[in-house]
Amino acid sequence: MGVKLLYIEDDKEIGSFVRSHLERHGYEVEWLTSGETAVQAAAGCRLAILDVMLPGLDGFTVGQRLKRSEPSLPILMLSARASIDDKLQGLQFADDYLTKPFHPDELTARIEVLLRRTAAAGTEPVAIKHLLVYEQENRVVVRDSGEEITLTGKQFHIFSYMLRHLGQILTKEQIYEAVWGESYIEGDKTLMVHIRYLREKIERDPSSPEVVETVRGIGYRVRP
Amino acid sequence: MKKLLGRSRVVRFRQTLLSRYMLIILFAFLFIPIIFPLASVVYMVIEEQSGNGNDDYLKYGNSAALESMWHREASLLDEGAPEQVDRKLREMKGRYPEGSFFWVDMAGATRLQLPPQEGLPDRWTHTDAIRYMKANIDGDPFTVVAFLGPDDAGSGFMVMQLPRSLLQLSTPIGSGTPYYIGFLFVMFAFFILLSLLFFRHIRRRLLRLQSAMTMRGNDGLPMPIVLTKYDEIGQLEAAFNEMTEQLRGSKERERAEEELRKRLIANLSHDLRTPLTVMNSHVYSLRGEPLSAQGQSSVKQLEQKIGSLGSLIDNLLTYTLMTSGKYPLRLDRLDVLRLVRESAAAWYPLWEQEGIEPDINLPDEPLFWRVDKEGFRRVLDNLYQNIVRHARSGQYIGISVEQGARGRTIVISDRGAGMTGESAGKGAGIGLAIVDYLLSEMKLERRTESTEGGTRILIGSRAEEQHFLNEI
Repeated sequence: MGVKLLYIEDDKEIGSFVRSHLERHGYEVEWLTSGETAVQAAAGCRLAILDVMLPGLDGFTVGQRLKRSEPSLPILMLSARASIDDKLQGLQFADDYLTKPFHPDELTARIEVLLRRTAAAGTEPVAIKHLLVYEQENRVVVRDSGEEITLTGKQFHIFSYMLRHLGQILTKEQIYEAVWGESYIEGDKTLMVHIRYLREKIERDPSSPEVVETVRGIGYRVRP
Repeated sequence: MKKLLGRSRVVRFRQTLLSRYMLIILFAFLFIPIIFPLASVVYMVIEEQSGNGNDDYLKYGNSAALESMWHREASLLDEGAPEQVDRKLREMKGRYPEGSFFWVDMAGATRLQLPPQEGLPDRWTHTDAIRYMKANIDGDPFTVVAFLGPDDAGSGFMVMQLPRSLLQLSTPIGSGTPYYIGFLFVMFAFFILLSLLFFRHIRRRLLRLQSAMTMRGNDGLPMPIVLTKYDEIGQLEAAFNEMTEQLRGSKERERAEEELRKRLIANLSHDLRTPLTVMNSHVYSLRGEPLSAQGQSSVKQLEQKIGSLGSLIDNLLTYTLMTSGKYPLRLDRLDVLRLVRESAAAWYPLWEQEGIEPDINLPDEPLFWRVDKEGFRRVLDNLYQNIVRHARSGQYIGISVEQGARGRTIVISDRGAGMTGESAGKGAGIGLAIVDYLLSEMKLERRTESTEGGTRILIGSRAEEQHFLNEI
């Protein structure tokens, strides 16, 4: 069996459909109709999908409990409430968020991204284009030749931050603030300089980068 | 019920400040008619105590009384009966043991002396008599001379002498006056102190009340005051407590109503979206079935409609929540270009998927406006969503900043059929209503330039008020 997911949904029709959909995509699904036993059921699961409106304990409470007992477990919230309401409450702890009615393909895509993101923080190497990244060991290796690439602390920090947000476009401000831990000063060229050096090391052709892609006018992206 | 009890509680007069004030005033009125006589009595007592407190305090009366007594006794005697006079003198000696007595008969011879006295001539001449008188009048001992017989008719006389100390107070008259004044002064000081304490007490309580009134609890409402006395100030405190109680009650009701409304909307949203999700899953299952080209296109249409119905519900409920004031915006000075970039980053994958080419051209320097972060994101989301829904045909989205007449504006443009043109999905109304509502709450405005070749939406300051922000 594949990766095990915890799924909490009280609506039988939606629940059975989503379960079979996910199982078709190779996941093992632990489906509960209420959140009371969520913490026990989460053992061995790699991700939790939570509905917000549940009988008894609501999804936010269940989510907070799960985060407390297993902080590394990614949580995807499914909500049928007005988004402005949920956004304020839900994303405090949830890793991602989807409003009903959602497209089943959108759900599987989000699950995949979340799983990759957590994998990047783990011991498994992450394969990006021609590279293999061992985040725990601060190591980047060229897949074909096995050649080791040495990155400076900041370069590796930037790169691993992007890997943790695989597929997401990150603005210069977001990267700078996450890596340097201070607020971004507009016009600061530091980040651009670091990214140029990073590209010189990891790209096959730094003049047309494949790994760290520039999204014009917005920022950068590392695609899976 | 509690409130009613509180109000109907009758304040007994004894407990009121008024009664105590009246007491002080009464005291002030009684000061003269009561305190002065009282002081006099006290004075007397003090006089009594400080004077010859023993029994022989003027035991023979004053000098005038003695003198008249002596003259009366003398007038009753007959100078022709010496035994009678002797007897009287002895009797007098018995009555006034401290006194000296003698008498002189009509022949001028000194007769009985009690006790025998020196310096008295045996025979009195006129000169002797005058000398004696001169020597003893107003002297010590006190001397009374009276002619014998009625109406001072006789030429014999009898003399009584008493030490002056028996007739005079050892302490002078008025020796108690300082006590008297002191007592009045003490009483006066006591009165002043009493009124001072009274007003100080009132003042302290008023100050305490004032500081208690300004103290705020966690909910931003004044805290109730602990009642100490149930007088006028106590009533004021009770009324204040009652007022805060009412305030708290109405705030609680308001909160409960808000909660109810939110819950209602959440439930409504849930109840509308759950069947949509079920429909969506069935439509998705249909896609797996062997369908004709027309069937496939119907499925695609259904999916799109379900999607737009979902966001329509969201917009509708959000609009209801926002316009009922349940989402007060928190305006902060923020770099809106950063928000634009972050929002575009989130939409970028969808644009790519839909074949819309983003053209993002934003300056490096920040643009500070006073906006609510979530609200501004919502504005951008709704505008981007409209482009994806209604202007997909243009395959273009442009985001830039232009210098307008009223400062810099953010321009979001597309190459769709324009707002007047027919679009695949209508219902942009509610989304734009939310945009306009949020913008006006943030003192911004939207202007739309729409032609058949595309739409430009300009977001900028509504008035001059935003300008200075960039100069900070």
